[in-house]
Amino acid sequence: MARVVLTDLVKSYGSFNAVNHVSLTVEDGEFVALVGPSGCGKTTTLNLVAGLLPITSGDIVIGDQVVNDLDPKDRDIAMVFQNYALYPQKSVYKNLAFPLQMRKLPRDEIDRKVQEAARVLDMTHLLERKPRELSGGQQQRVALGRALVRDPAVFLMDEPLSNLDAKLRVQMRSELKRFHHDLQATIIYVTHDQLEAVTMADKMAVMNGGNLQQYDSPAQVFAHPANMFVASFVGSPAMSLIPLEAASANGTAVLTSAEGWRLPLSPINARKVQNAKTRKIVLGARHSTIKLHKSAVADAVPAKAYTVEPTGDVTFVQAFLSGAIVNISVPPSVDVAPDEQIWLEFDQERMHLFDGETEMAIRAD
Amino acid sequence: MSMNAEASTARPRPRKRVDRWRWGGRIFLALMLFYTAVPMIWMLLTSIKSGFAAMQLPPQWWPAEPTLASYQKLLDPQNSVGQDFLRFFWNSVVVSTLTTALGVIVAVPAAYAFSRFRFPGRNFLFFAVLLRNMFPAVIFLVPLFILMRWLGLVNTHGSLVVTYLTFGLPLSIWLLKGFYDNIPIQLEQAARIDGATRFQAFVKIVMPLSVPGIIATAIYSFIGAWNEYIYAYTFLSKNEQLTLPVGIQRFFSENTTDFPGLMAASFMMSVPVVVLFLVLQKYFVRALTEGAVKH
Repeated sequence: MARVVLTDLVKSYGSFNAVNHVSLTVEDGEFVALVGPSGCGKTTTLNLVAGLLPITSGDIVIGDQVVNDLDPKDRDIAMVFQNYALYPQKSVYKNLAFPLQMRKLPRDEIDRKVQEAARVLDMTHLLERKPRELSGGQQQRVALGRALVRDPAVFLMDEPLSNLDAKLRVQMRSELKRFHHDLQATIIYVTHDQLEAVTMADKMAVMNGGNLQQYDSPAQVFAHPANMFVASFVGSPAMSLIPLEAASANGTAVLTSAEGWRLPLSPINARKVQNAKTRKIVLGARHSTIKLHKSAVADAVPAKAYTVEPTGDVTFVQAFLSGAIVNISVPPSVDVAPDEQIWLEFDQERMHLFDGETEMAIRAD
Repeated sequence: MSMNAEASTARPRPRKRVDRWRWGGRIFLALMLFYTAVPMIWMLLTSIKSGFAAMQLPPQWWPAEPTLASYQKLLDPQNSVGQDFLRFFWNSVVVSTLTTALGVIVAVPAAYAFSRFRFPGRNFLFFAVLLRNMFPAVIFLVPLFILMRWLGLVNTHGSLVVTYLTFGLPLSIWLLKGFYDNIPIQLEQAARIDGATRFQAFVKIVMPLSVPGIIATAIYSFIGAWNEYIYAYTFLSKNEQLTLPVGIQRFFSENTTDFPGLMAASFMMSVPVVVLFLVLQKYFVRALTEGAVKH
C-alpha cells in the first residue's frame, strides 16, 4: 500500500482544462472518493493517476515514486471499471490469472493466489465460467478479484457500482467498505453519487468543472461546505439555497427578502454577514434544520407549501420562499397541504451563509 | 402452384392484403433463387456430360451418360490440359493467399489505428482510403500497367498482389474499424494496468476479440483476388503464370470449346470460394452488420 500525492495536476484539451490545478494527498490506507457531476473531471483525474492519459502538467507521486511518465503497468495500481472490462474470451480463472501472468509469476503461485482471491470473494464455483455467463453482481466481483489478486499499491475504482441494480448496489457498497477495512487498502474511488462517497469514503474530493471544490472528511464536507456548489451537491435532499439581502436593523445585521420579510440573525451569523464583501447573501439550510410552523411564530418567515411527499418515517415538504424552493422534513404526523401558508424557522447554529457574488461560504473571522 | 395461390388471393378482399404481400415476397425470392442457382446447376450438369451431349439441341436436362471424364482430365498431372489447369489453380492460390495475408497484416493495424488514435489528418486519411472505391477498376488499368512496367513487375504475380491490395484494403480497413470501435477501450486499459504493454494488450486481448472481423476481411480479400480477371489478363502474358480466371478463358477458347471441360474447371474454381464462404459465413455476416446497432 502507498500514499498518492497529486500536485497542481492539469489535463488540458486545447484551451480547455478538464482537470484544473488539482492538488490532493491520499494517505496510505485511505479511501478517497472523487465525486462530482458528469464532466467534472473526476474520471479524467483517475485516468491520469492510472497513466491511461498523459498529464499536461503537475506531478503524480505513488509511494515514493514520481510516476508522471510511467506506463500504467509500471505504476503498481489496479483498476475496477464501470463496465468491469472483464476479458470476454477468458474464463473467470484466466481473468484473475492474467495480471499475475503478465508479471511472470510461477504457475503454482498464480494458482494459489487465484484460488485465494476466489475464496475471499466467494466465487470458487464460478472459476470456469465465462464473464457473459455471470450476473452483473458476479461480474462486479470478478472485476474486484482481478484487482485484488495483484496486491497493488493503490486501487482505482471508476464508478464500479453504477451498473448494478439498486438493491445490489447497496449490498456491494457495504462489501466494498468491508473490503477496504480488511485490506487497509489505499483506494481512489470515482462516483457521481454523493451518497456512495459519503457512506464509504474516509475523505471526499468534490469536483466541479475540473476544479477541486473541497477535500475533507464526509462529515466535514457535510457540516461545513466550502461553497454553494458543494452545499447543494452533498446531502439528499439537497441543501436549500435562498438568495437574500443584507441589511441592518437596530445596529445589527439582518437578512431581508424581496418578499418583504426580514430574518433576524444570531450574533455570530450577524458578524459573518457584516464581514461579507457584498450585500447579496445566500442562506443555506438543510431540510432537517428548518422547523415548519402552521402559524406565525417569532423569527419564523412566511412561505407557501408546494409539494408534500410522505416517505413513511419522514415527510418531505417543498415550499416556495423568496423565489427559491426550500426542502423541509417533518414528522409524518404534521399535516400540510399544497398551497398552504406555512412559517419556517431556521436553526441559527446550523445555517450556512454564502457570499452571493463568489458563492463561497462566509467565515466568521 | 404459387401462381395459383397468387391468383386466388388477388381477389379484392382487403383482409387478405397481408397474404398477398407475403406471397409476392415468396415469388420474388423464388425467382431470385432460380436466377442465382440455375447457372450453377447448369454448370455442374454440363460438367458431367460428354462433349457431344453438351452441344445437343434440345438440351439434355439430365445427362444421359454422366461422366467424370472432364474432372479426370483436369486433375491429371500427366496430360497437358491437367498440367495447365493445376498450374493455374496453384497460381491463383498463391496470388490470393498472398493478397489475403498481406491484406490482413496491413488492415489490422491500420483499422486499429483509425479506431483508437486521434492523429492529425485522421479523418482526411480515412475518407481518402475510400476514394479509390469511387472509380471503376478499369480506369486504373493503364496507369497501373505503366506503373508496374516502371517497377519491373509486369509478368510477375507481385503485380497482381500489389494491385489487389490497393483495391481490397480500403473496405477491409473499414470493416475492421467497425469491429475495433465496438470493442470497449476499457478492455485494453484494464490489460495495460494489469501489466501489459500497449502492444501486448492489443495482441492478447483485442486481437482475439476481433477474429470474426479478421476472418471476414480475409474472405473478402481472398474472394476478390481469386475472381479478378481484367488485371490478371492485362499484367500477365506468360502461360505458366496465368491465374485461373484468365487461364480458363484463354485455355479453352484456343480451339473448339470443350464445354464440359470448361464447366468442370469453372466448378472447381468456385469450390474453394464456396467452401470458404459456407464455413465462415456467420463471421462475414456479423462483420457486415457490426456497428450497425449499438449493443
